[in-house]
Amino acid sequence: MQGQITTRAGTDDEVPDEPPVRRLSPHGRAIRVVVALAGAALLLVGTLVGQDDDFPFGPFRMYATADKLNAPVHDTRLRAVDASGRHLQLTDTQTGFRRAELEGQLPRIQRHPELLGAIATAYHRRQPDAPRLVRIDVVVRLLALRDGRPTGAYTERTEATWRAR
Amino acid sequence: MSARLGRPAGAVARWFTSPVPLGRIAAFRTLVYLFVAADLVVFTPWVRLHADVPGTLYQPLLIGRLLPLPTPGWLLTTVLFWVLLAAALLAATGRAPRLLGWLVFALYLEWMLVAMSYGKVDHDRFDLLVALAVLPTVGAARHGDTTRSEKAGWALRCTQLAVVATYFLSSWAKFRFGGLEWLTGATMARAVLRRGTELVEWSTHVPHLLVVVQFLIVAFELTTPIVFLLRGRWYYLHVTLMYAFHLMVFAAVTISFVPHLIAMTSFLPLERVRPVRWAARLLRGRTAPPLAE
Repeated sequence: MQGQITTRAGTDDEVPDEPPVRRLSPHGRAIRVVVALAGAALLLVGTLVGQDDDFPFGPFRMYATADKLNAPVHDTRLRAVDASGRHLQLTDTQTGFRRAELEGQLPRIQRHPELLGAIATAYHRRQPDAPRLVRIDVVVRLLALRDGRPTGAYTERTEATWRAR
Repeated sequence: MSARLGRPAGAVARWFTSPVPLGRIAAFRTLVYLFVAADLVVFTPWVRLHADVPGTLYQPLLIGRLLPLPTPGWLLTTVLFWVLLAAALLAATGRAPRLLGWLVFALYLEWMLVAMSYGKVDHDRFDLLVALAVLPTVGAARHGDTTRSEKAGWALRCTQLAVVATYFLSSWAKFRFGGLEWLTGATMARAVLRRGTELVEWSTHVPHLLVVVQFLIVAFELTTPIVFLLRGRWYYLHVTLMYAFHLMVFAAVTISFVPHLIAMTSFLPLERVRPVRWAARLLRGRTAPPLAE
């Protein structure tokens, strides 16, 4: 730790040649170059033909879809009724299952609405003292836009329903 | 090898492994592993909530189906959280860099599978995962060590390439999924309308402004590879531009790519940042004159 950390790196991003350099063996260098090129190739293939499923080599598709300004905005929510008859909207932290995850699995949940029972189970685990849920609906609200701004009008569709037995 | 490969291949090999000071790796290591610990607790605390979600909602990603990984439950998620937190904090000290480094990489990858196997995949940390994968290969590195190392150079080069790929290939993804219409579409307008801050609300009222911004974003993303050609002042200017881009994005729509910002420090001479030494000097400075830097 003692010593000459005062070497100026100059304008380059590398330090000038005075400090000693530890070289790689030819073998070590070759392996590293091959590994790096293989990783780059996987990432390129993932970007060209891959999907999110190929994480971490899938395409970087954040905000990659071209939106139409006035296409309606989807707003997916979980509406529930508990044993006391109370109506509530389940939040991400109440269930541990996030809204984006609900949207990602919505086709599967439409085919198998009983999966909503698992969300009820998660809710009960996280709120052990709350009344049991007896019903959950997945409701998609379509907010109408004009010039990209909400007009206040909306329509709602119930995409899946689960009832406690 | 470089001699045997001939000149072009040798030049590529040297570029991939151009030596950097070991002190830079020591600093980068500390930063990356401290981020992993902070990520668990501060940045993505929702991952832990998957502990209570029944396994029927677990839809393992390809890598989770290829590897014999158990379905996450309360026990796995809780044990993983605490072991990873302890390992990351220990690794941040620079001790046992290979053992702890590989351990953190494996556990963090599994943590990411717990995070992203329930229907939503995030795209903000490919470069951080690369950093975690390459750091253990460098071996021991002391803070302040000016000895240059080709192993260290390779590790940082891989991380830098992953940072630049994140920009470049995200433009590519825009063309693949959005098509050329992405440039003239309403993606930014809707993002600003949905989650824009007071700072940028006005921008939706200016005709075509956000379309111009979309062109600028793609131009910026597609030209990031030139950072590898720049030297000196222009190099640092470009790295500053990359950070400024994220500052603007955060100010506009409060989206921050923290793991990516951490990986991006691989472009900086981190070995010159010595907070512990500065603190010690400051304490000593009360009794002795400060040392020349």
